[in-house]
Amino acid sequence: MFEVIPEAPVIDRQTIHAALAGDQAAWDALVGRFSGLLWSVVRAHGLSGADAADAVQGTWLRLLESLHTIRDPDRVGSWLFTTARREASLLSRRRRGERLVADPADAESAGPWPAPAGQAHSDPALAVLRADEGRRLWRAVETMREPCRSLLLLAATAPDAGVRQLAGRLGMPSGSYGPTRRRCLNRLRTLLNAQEATP
Amino acid sequence: MTRRPPAIDDESLIAALRLAAGRDPVPAHVPAAARAIFGLRLPGAAVAVPVAVPAPAGVRSGQEGRLLRFTADELTVELEITPVDGLVDLAGQVSPLPCAGTTVEVRTPHLTQAREVSATGQFAVTGLPPGWFSVVCRRPEHSPVVTSWTRIRP
Repeated sequence: MFEVIPEAPVIDRQTIHAALAGDQAAWDALVGRFSGLLWSVVRAHGLSGADAADAVQGTWLRLLESLHTIRDPDRVGSWLFTTARREASLLSRRRRGERLVADPADAESAGPWPAPAGQAHSDPALAVLRADEGRRLWRAVETMREPCRSLLLLAATAPDAGVRQLAGRLGMPSGSYGPTRRRCLNRLRTLLNAQEATP
Repeated sequence: MTRRPPAIDDESLIAALRLAAGRDPVPAHVPAAARAIFGLRLPGAAVAVPVAVPAPAGVRSGQEGRLLRFTADELTVELEITPVDGLVDLAGQVSPLPCAGTTVEVRTPHLTQAREVSATGQFAVTGLPPGWFSVVCRRPEHSPVVTSWTRIRP
């Protein structure tokens, strides 16, 4: 359950400069550092493996065309995170109304593009995606009552299960899964905030 | 309209739980594809960003075609996208009218197709796979202009 996430490569100013200068190894270091995070972010939007791969690919393509405007190594992670979330959200909405659409116009209506880096930087959602925060999150889940404990465990460990399957395994009607999940996540947020208040 | 939660959104909490649980590892082809696109970088190119295209009166909107417009460096690239049997046809217009020797490259992560731009500023590529694409416009004595990566789905 609590696997030790291997040490990711450190991304510093030199890495960014090297990537901008055409150093493939530096780019590979970026990919190595952030692939796990981006994958979990887009998959959490309920995307299939193929759609998730597509959203992650788009995120890297956008970084490739924007890296020279970011430069700050501390901001690259938050920029990738924000961009991946946006791609995943566009794609999951698209899934509900299958039609040929090109994305930029939609992206415009969803907000300014590229994402304002300052806003991305202060995003508390990114902080929770660190390894030590993940362990803290799970410790909080373990203190929760049913059905939240089982629901969150299942939501996190059965990535390809649909709502009907998940609801079935929890013994609840399909229609209850979404609202229950929302309540459980609210409860989890409250627990985390309480922990922050009393460290 | 639902209000955006002030703190961590649901998807990010789920993402964090999943990341820590380690049950949904990244398939190897995903980072491999990310590493491979480094070959598509175009240092020094101006990125043409999408601009809204007002729907012309009397033209039906719908599934058949879609017009995209990108601008940078006083150059506008318009792209009309038409799905054909699960693939995509792309007809482009460069304006202002380009000088002789202007070329475009229509790029996907997997293939690049080069075209000369006609004297009237037009070019076309047919049978593209759906997915991410961008168009590079190369004019003599100018830096290349490249349209921001855009996704076309069937």
